[in-house]
Amino acid sequence: MKTSFPHMGCVTGYKVLLEKLGHEVIMPDAPSQRTMELGVKYSPEFICFPFKVMMGTYIECAEKGAELIVSSGGAGPCRAGMYPDVHQKVLQELGYNTKVVVFDSMFQDFNAFYEKVKAVKNGTPNRKLPGLALFCYKLIKKMDKLEKQMKIMRAYEINQGDYSRAWKDIVKMFEKCDTIRDVDRTYKQALEIFEAIPRRKVEESRRIRVGIVGEIYVIMEPTVNKNVEEILNNLGVEVENVQYISDWVEHNIMPKWLPFPKSHRVFRMSDKVAPLNCGGHDKENMGWVHDFAKRGFDGVVHLMPFACLPELVNLGKFPAISKELNMPIMSLSLDEQMGEAHVKTRLEAFTDLIKSKHYAKQKQGIGDAIGSAAQSAARKAQSKAQEVKDNLAASSHTPIKQHAK
Amino acid sequence: MKYYLGIDIGSVSTNVIAMDENYNVCFSQYIRANGQPLESVKKGMKMLKDAIGCEDDDILGIGTTGSGRELAGVLVGADVIKNEITAHATATLHYHPDARTIFEIGGQDSKIIILQDGMVTDFAMNTVCAAGTGSFLDHQAERLGVPIEQFGELALTAEKDVRIAGRCTVFAESDMIAKQQYGFSKAEIIKGLCTALVRNYINNLGRAKTLKPPFIFQGGVAANVGIRKAFEDEVGEKVVIPKYYNVMGAIGSAILAKEYIEDNQIEKPSFKGFGQLELEFKPTSFECRGCSNMCEVIRVISSDNEVLAVWGDKCGKYAGTSKASRTAGR
Repeated sequence: MKTSFPHMGCVTGYKVLLEKLGHEVIMPDAPSQRTMELGVKYSPEFICFPFKVMMGTYIECAEKGAELIVSSGGAGPCRAGMYPDVHQKVLQELGYNTKVVVFDSMFQDFNAFYEKVKAVKNGTPNRKLPGLALFCYKLIKKMDKLEKQMKIMRAYEINQGDYSRAWKDIVKMFEKCDTIRDVDRTYKQALEIFEAIPRRKVEESRRIRVGIVGEIYVIMEPTVNKNVEEILNNLGVEVENVQYISDWVEHNIMPKWLPFPKSHRVFRMSDKVAPLNCGGHDKENMGWVHDFAKRGFDGVVHLMPFACLPELVNLGKFPAISKELNMPIMSLSLDEQMGEAHVKTRLEAFTDLIKSKHYAKQKQGIGDAIGSAAQSAARKAQSKAQEVKDNLAASSHTPIKQHAK
Repeated sequence: MKYYLGIDIGSVSTNVIAMDENYNVCFSQYIRANGQPLESVKKGMKMLKDAIGCEDDDILGIGTTGSGRELAGVLVGADVIKNEITAHATATLHYHPDARTIFEIGGQDSKIIILQDGMVTDFAMNTVCAAGTGSFLDHQAERLGVPIEQFGELALTAEKDVRIAGRCTVFAESDMIAKQQYGFSKAEIIKGLCTALVRNYINNLGRAKTLKPPFIFQGGVAANVGIRKAFEDEVGEKVVIPKYYNVMGAIGSAILAKEYIEDNQIEKPSFKGFGQLELEFKPTSFECRGCSNMCEVIRVISSDNEVLAVWGDKCGKYAGTSKASRTAGR
């Protein structure tokens, strides 16, 4: 069956999985101007921006003849829960015979989940499925690990664009992987490629780190967020994103009471400021902001689709949280109208802000250290003097006491 | 004399300043760009050369800022290419080190910058709308037949208050027409407009921010005493207008260039010389057909057919094909 999926960040994992299940994969293109125009044209006007982009991608896939579109779901109180049905309806109205299958959490309704597995597994025997799933999990895990690494190393590249070009090659290498051993070997090769790229040496104290939180689709898909991560990297800032597909899988498969993966702990960390989850990843993101502050990050960039409800809730809380944690947070609300120049100017100004703050903190830190050392020395001297005084007083008293006895 | 230069290429004006080593501004020029930023940069540089009579060797460094900063940076050979927020804050802090809030209203955009202990701690730029910016005032002045230079003074003569909807330029205009038909005077309408603009500005940009004095008001619109009065009424404090309010961005970029050159001990600035400006520069654009993004790629080509700079490609396909790599982060 001709099968496709939405484009969200690195899609090699989906491609390999569907190919292994014997589908003919129609690769979706990264969302382009045309995708967005199509999506905006055929979507309800007030729906979220990610819905519109995905709609555009689905239409493009349907044009190429896709019969099945597989996606993962968001069965939540936010509008993401109605994506599959509305997407399906719009595609139908446009006259495409494409079926949209969206996987929700298997713990919610296992039978429904299994029905969908049956529709997608394409006749692959059940006994082969765990092995396949393990292989794909390994693949996405390793790729995500590399991508995380890249977003740190790319901040210091000497020739702009080296890492991004290398990453494109590495993705192609992973697409050819067939066994877990291939994946491990490719991972090692990729690390070597990364290491070989010339980089500036930077002292530990001068590293500027920024965390990215926000709605899952806009933070994972660089073409939609105007390449925020690369812009920040080019400004010499290390970036850590909170969403990767492997983390998402772990978060949804592992029981919530376990202390791992980390996202479970982070989820609980926000209990005080965000006791309820409003739908998307708002509670988690609040936890991540606290986690970033704890780890001494210099700032957080918050990306949200225009009028996304869960993130709007966070947006309201951020000014107070930012003050409390003493960490700047910048929100960017994204939609099809957003200009790249605007994003760039804001990110540049934000980078200048956090850099000057970082260096000022350091200077102050040294000053504080000297100050507190002097203070503690003075305190010690004082207490010593007090001790001597006490001793003297005591010694002058004791003989009398002894006499008295 | 040795100079540092600063160029601010905005949407409406191009500002060129020259500053000596002791931060004294020796030359400042505010040029209306009329949609030709490159021409106005050339014009400004020529005026600068004639006015202070300097040679290529006298220039110690150049900084550019504003929306056209990259293009102008390539044209003149800038040492520092910085965003407007940092440039404005740097200049303000030089003149008013204790400043806490900067209102900046330019031709097409407005920003608010919050400072503490001489550092930017927060900022906001208007995102989607041109209501409440200089070009809106310009347009309304033209419609009312009042020269923009006299706009502010006329507002001060108003006796009564008129409330005009300032949320959106289109609504503001129809509201103004209605109020005119009710018989309010020109001065009152202009005052209402100034108040509406400030109200809109504070609602949009000052949201969730604590605004603390001293307040500094700069940008081209700061020339308008009506707006200044409206700001003072709104915040209930004195609003200071710096001496070089309309070229603060350019001054900031010159200061940044000086700091950059001195911190890194650069002997030779990247200034290309005044002679270079006489040459023809051709910014050309073409639509890349590589994918369905159809990016409009802009190229600056010198007279000897050398590609000086390329930008506009989303995928980075053309990055590194030009002589000057992108230096926005410096």
